[in-house]
Amino acid sequence: MATLTSGRKTVLRRELEAIVGPGGVLSDPDELLVYESDGLTLFRALADFVVFPTSAEQVAAVVKLAGREGMPFVARGAGTGLSGGCLPAEGGLVLSMMRMNRVLEVDYANQLAVVEPGLVNLHLSWKVGPKGYYYAPDPSSQQACTIGGNIANNSGGPHTLKYGVTTNHVLGLEVVMPDGEIVWLGGRTRATPGYDLAGVFVGSEGTFGIATKVVVRILKKPQAVKTVLAVFDVIDQASAAVSAIIARGLVPAAVEMIDKLTINAVEDAFGCGYPRDAAAALLVELDGLRVGMDAQTERIVQACRDAGAREVRTARDETERALLWKGRKSAFGAYGRVSPAYMVMDGVIPRTKLPYVLRRVNEIVAAHGLRVGNVFHAGDGNLHPNILYDPRKPGDEARVVEAGAQIMRVCAEVGGSISGEHGIGLEKIDFMPLIFSAADLAVMQRLKNAFNPTGLCNPGKVFPTKKSCVEVGPVAYKPHAIEETGLAQRF
Amino acid sequence: MARLAEDTRGTTAGPLALHGLSVEGVNQCVHCGLCLASCPTFAELGTEMDSPRGRIFLIKSLAEGRTALTDSTVQHLSLCLDCRACETVCPAGVPYGRLIEAAKAEIERARPGSPARRLFRWLNFGILLGHPKALALAASALRLYQVSGLQWLVRRSGLLRLLPGTLPAWEALLPSMPSRRERAPLPPYIPAEGPRRARVALLTGCVQAVVFGAQNRATARVLAKNGCDVLVPEGQGCCGALHAHGGDHARALALSRRTIEAFEGARADAVIVNTSGCGAHMKGYGQLFSADPAWAERARRFAASVQDVAEFLARTPLAGPLRPVAMTVTYHDPCHVVHGQKLRKEPRQLLAQIPGLTVVDLAESDWCCGSAGIYNLTEPEMAGRLLERKVRHVLETGAEAVVTANPGCILQIQAGLRARAAGVRVLHLVELLDRAYARSS
Amino acid sequence: MQDALLERLRTAVGSANVLTGVELSPYVVDGRTPEAAVFPGSLEEVAMVIGLAAESDVPVVPWGGGTAASVGTPAARAALVLGLRRLARLVEHEPGDLTATVEAGMTIAALQAVLRGRGQWLSLDPADAERATLGGVLSADASGPRRHLYGTARDLLIGVTVVTADAAVVKGGGKVVKNVAGYDLPKLFIGSYGTLGVIVEATLKLRPVPEDERLVALRFARLKDAAAAVRALLASDLIPNAVELLDATAATALVAGVAGDAPGLGKTLAGAPPATPPPTGALLVVGFDGLPEQVEWQCAELARLAAPHGGRDAAPLASEAWPRLAAAARAAFPVATAMMAFDVLPTQVAELMEQGAGVARARGLQTAWAAHAGVGAVSAALFTDGEPREPGPVAAVLGEWREMARAGGGHAALEWAPLAVKSQVQVWDDLGAAGRIMQRIKAQLDPKGILNPGRFVAGI
Repeated sequence: MATLTSGRKTVLRRELEAIVGPGGVLSDPDELLVYESDGLTLFRALADFVVFPTSAEQVAAVVKLAGREGMPFVARGAGTGLSGGCLPAEGGLVLSMMRMNRVLEVDYANQLAVVEPGLVNLHLSWKVGPKGYYYAPDPSSQQACTIGGNIANNSGGPHTLKYGVTTNHVLGLEVVMPDGEIVWLGGRTRATPGYDLAGVFVGSEGTFGIATKVVVRILKKPQAVKTVLAVFDVIDQASAAVSAIIARGLVPAAVEMIDKLTINAVEDAFGCGYPRDAAAALLVELDGLRVGMDAQTERIVQACRDAGAREVRTARDETERALLWKGRKSAFGAYGRVSPAYMVMDGVIPRTKLPYVLRRVNEIVAAHGLRVGNVFHAGDGNLHPNILYDPRKPGDEARVVEAGAQIMRVCAEVGGSISGEHGIGLEKIDFMPLIFSAADLAVMQRLKNAFNPTGLCNPGKVFPTKKSCVEVGPVAYKPHAIEETGLAQRF
Repeated sequence: MARLAEDTRGTTAGPLALHGLSVEGVNQCVHCGLCLASCPTFAELGTEMDSPRGRIFLIKSLAEGRTALTDSTVQHLSLCLDCRACETVCPAGVPYGRLIEAAKAEIERARPGSPARRLFRWLNFGILLGHPKALALAASALRLYQVSGLQWLVRRSGLLRLLPGTLPAWEALLPSMPSRRERAPLPPYIPAEGPRRARVALLTGCVQAVVFGAQNRATARVLAKNGCDVLVPEGQGCCGALHAHGGDHARALALSRRTIEAFEGARADAVIVNTSGCGAHMKGYGQLFSADPAWAERARRFAASVQDVAEFLARTPLAGPLRPVAMTVTYHDPCHVVHGQKLRKEPRQLLAQIPGLTVVDLAESDWCCGSAGIYNLTEPEMAGRLLERKVRHVLETGAEAVVTANPGCILQIQAGLRARAAGVRVLHLVELLDRAYARSS
Repeated sequence: MQDALLERLRTAVGSANVLTGVELSPYVVDGRTPEAAVFPGSLEEVAMVIGLAAESDVPVVPWGGGTAASVGTPAARAALVLGLRRLARLVEHEPGDLTATVEAGMTIAALQAVLRGRGQWLSLDPADAERATLGGVLSADASGPRRHLYGTARDLLIGVTVVTADAAVVKGGGKVVKNVAGYDLPKLFIGSYGTLGVIVEATLKLRPVPEDERLVALRFARLKDAAAAVRALLASDLIPNAVELLDATAATALVAGVAGDAPGLGKTLAGAPPATPPPTGALLVVGFDGLPEQVEWQCAELARLAAPHGGRDAAPLASEAWPRLAAAARAAFPVATAMMAFDVLPTQVAELMEQGAGVARARGLQTAWAAHAGVGAVSAALFTDGEPREPGPVAAVLGEWREMARAGGGHAALEWAPLAVKSQVQVWDDLGAAGRIMQRIKAQLDPKGILNPGRFVAGI
């Protein structure tokens, strides 16, 4: 896209204001600055405009304008994503959905709700909580992330082991297509005929269109919940315990693992009661009927002990339980206390390969002279090695990127995948060929073409593109040290 | 075009600062965004620049020279309430309060604004809040304004709407001014009732002493009932909190030193504060003076002795007997108690010990009411929106009274409820405790 | 079909695996006989066959067990049947990961038998498990009563290998239960009736076999009372794995049997046969699984919960009932005249069942209704009682049924009907704008339109 002249920018700004109202457009460089990153500050991209629509019709009008101008556009929620997915990689428009944040309707009898995409995930559970219901997909950032963002990344969270991910809880979506048409994909019924359009839209990382309403399932809160903390002196034992629990015929609601470095960071931040000298801790949660819960909990305790746990504790009440979970959910941010910066990796592997992969991860990071804190959804094999580094130390950033790449290769080698939750976005484009053949990628591209033939909807994401010639963008190009060493590319 | 972030941190020499005021804390931010959902201005506006993460980013960009203090940057930073709700949820421990105070100081230095604005600030921070006598004079004048009937005339006649700037907002906030007698200062020493368990010094505050002297007296009584010898050191005045939060850094330092000096002589086990903003600010004296070798240790020691009145009283069960207070109340957490000092359960523990009292939970109880120091005077529109939200939640509880612990909150919420003719009262926590004790003597 | 093509097919898969002439009678659909039926023995052979067909512009119809082969708009041309029954291996089963990779031609029953032997199972229980193959079940999105708790194919499929219309082998998803790399291609193929690619292999999530499982049947004098009990059940803390609502006709067939068809479930665990409901009544069948104490408690709670709504005679059903439940409406008649499937909101189920029966009765037609009441999936069988009749009244009833579902925001699909009826009643709902997107997807993945053309929604 060619650079906008200031004259053209003024004209467009007025047109956009006519659509979303005068308080709904940002075009001032100072104000655009804060929108250049999501939760991953490694990547930055400046938009030409950020707009704040409040209805599907406004979204459609903005998208049509973008199409007319040949301008790329991308939707953004709370910007807590970790793969650069909502960055305007090729400039253009960012549509912040934060002002479309209402719960439109709740139908308890049919266990569904209709919400706007800017609604904060946890707020939905708060809304339906008094009647005894909740929204199951619970990413660690759920107190800030939005339903729309969850749709883009098919977000998970600790409870996906038993309850699945976002796509298993979405019945339908009202979507503004890249050509500006407003369409319903799926609906309110549990199944709709034809291709599962809602199913492929979820997880499409904002490249198929912009959701403006979402029909989600809400579930009855379980009658009882039991949370168990198991402490291990050897990290392999913790990994093995996970498989042992599953082998005993139990499907816990969640099995989370955190390592020593993480435990200490979290204890510094919140004092949740994790033992600081353990090599690893397993947080196992069971939910369901009160009848039989004690028997099932006992089996978990046994499985952990048999795997070598030195201590197994059951949370005595809701307060203790909440505190244990608080530590786990804030782990990412707590790393900020032990390191000026860190890179969150996201990979997924077959559960049975956990001990091997964890060992490899620790080896790789150590070989690069860095530290790593591991926290992850052990129950479904989704790892988050967090590589700690200092951006002021020369070469650290390059080493982080290289270590990350090697970790991705290990995940692919053992039959896993390069993203369990955070999506491909900008961050992992170059790793797609590790797990997908050219034919696989071609089919995905063709699917995208069916939705987004012009390619204006969130370009530059998910797929490896050819290295483009140097283009003059809104900001002058200066190769970064990492690019010069050939470890990463521009697009 | 998207590109990998340039390492601009390496290009700035030395630690990050805004004209000498350190903002190193911005580097602790990992950009996770968890703060967004707890920020009242973000909830109202939805724009990233009006969120803690966005403001941290702006401050960082300012310190790195990536951006300048443009109108919009000043506006977004000024809209910050400094309620520090973000600090409560931030897992990385970013000291946001200190960052925004440095930013506001920098704004005052670089862009002091129109002559009228500068006059207002000088009158406020330089005269009124710096000198107890000036405040007393203003209080007498306002009292005259009220008892002479002039206020009634001004309000009824619609003259209010003709007043310039933020004067109408001021006017709406005015409580009934106490009489000169009611404003008489506390005696310098109030002995404990019964066996003495502690020796404490009481901060009587600035606005607090003049408008809410009754609360100071209630505080002294309750402390005395709980075995405390209460000292009220002379020479104390404004602790500098309003100045620090409002960006007047120089005066904040001067007043803080004066406060430390006034209280050091008392040699008390603890310095008790019944106003949330003051307590939080004074607990931070150690950081405020960390770069000043002459004051660093003194300030740190002093700060360690500061306790909020609820924090102090909640350490042990209240001395009895407490008589029943048959009321339904709800509790509003002042920002600088719940976020600034991390005291959430202490006030509730105290309320639970008052027999006959029914306490109903307030939705968003730890959300700012919009008072935020003098924010309701400088940013009346946003303050109004947040007040509206708070009043709505209060009315939803059906309580007869809102209990809280900060003069700013009391004035703000009182004004909001009065505008709705709601008939709900606003009380300080110590007043309720005082009432429970009064009925027993 | 040209002889040249037939020869090349024989060369590709072996002469024994190419059927022509009279051997094709099992593969006749809507009165149309296919050109030939081919049975490749490997993934490469599947790709070769498709390549050959594409070259010669011959449509291809993937075929598993043939259980859903008759679903769809009558085809315009004779096609080449591509049978998957020779690709029937369990490729990989990783009990510690609770995943399995299976070739598309394996029957559900065969797969379950192997898995259960190792203490695990695939939580998918469609009808005709002995005949239905995995590939077919995925392509038709078939499911059974346990979908109430365990979901359907979209909740279980984590990876898929397909051969696309240009004979390329494409993989979507992976082998891990959580995966957001790239687009969710597996979802695209579920319920796509083979129109986007031929599924050759699939990786699925498994579950441990529950320790105990039980079915309980409760009789109601009125369907609306049973519906009220269902509402109470769904709002309770109970965790049923199946919630089946059968009208009197379907219930009688289930319990007492149908002449000439499978015998009734006379025997129960307790020895006494469950009572059949009166003509206006209904049977509610609820399944529970888990630890024995959990099943016990829930069965007792169910009876307690249903009693105020008139639920009587709670009786356990034998495990033989499970496969019968998956096709309860169809089994009510020796040969149904038409079968329609609906997706509506759970709160609309009972009304649809009652009003639908009324509409048919008014035209002198009998019906049987069965529903997975907790998920709003309703199945209806229409019966013309003896000699074939004019298609008119049948078509009219089906049209009214479709309109009832649509009015509530739901959908209807004609699963089976004679050609005469299909010429008057659309098989699929009109999907509007969503249908146009589906057409674009089809055009992208199968531009020549050789995979099962003309049979699916939106004219695909």
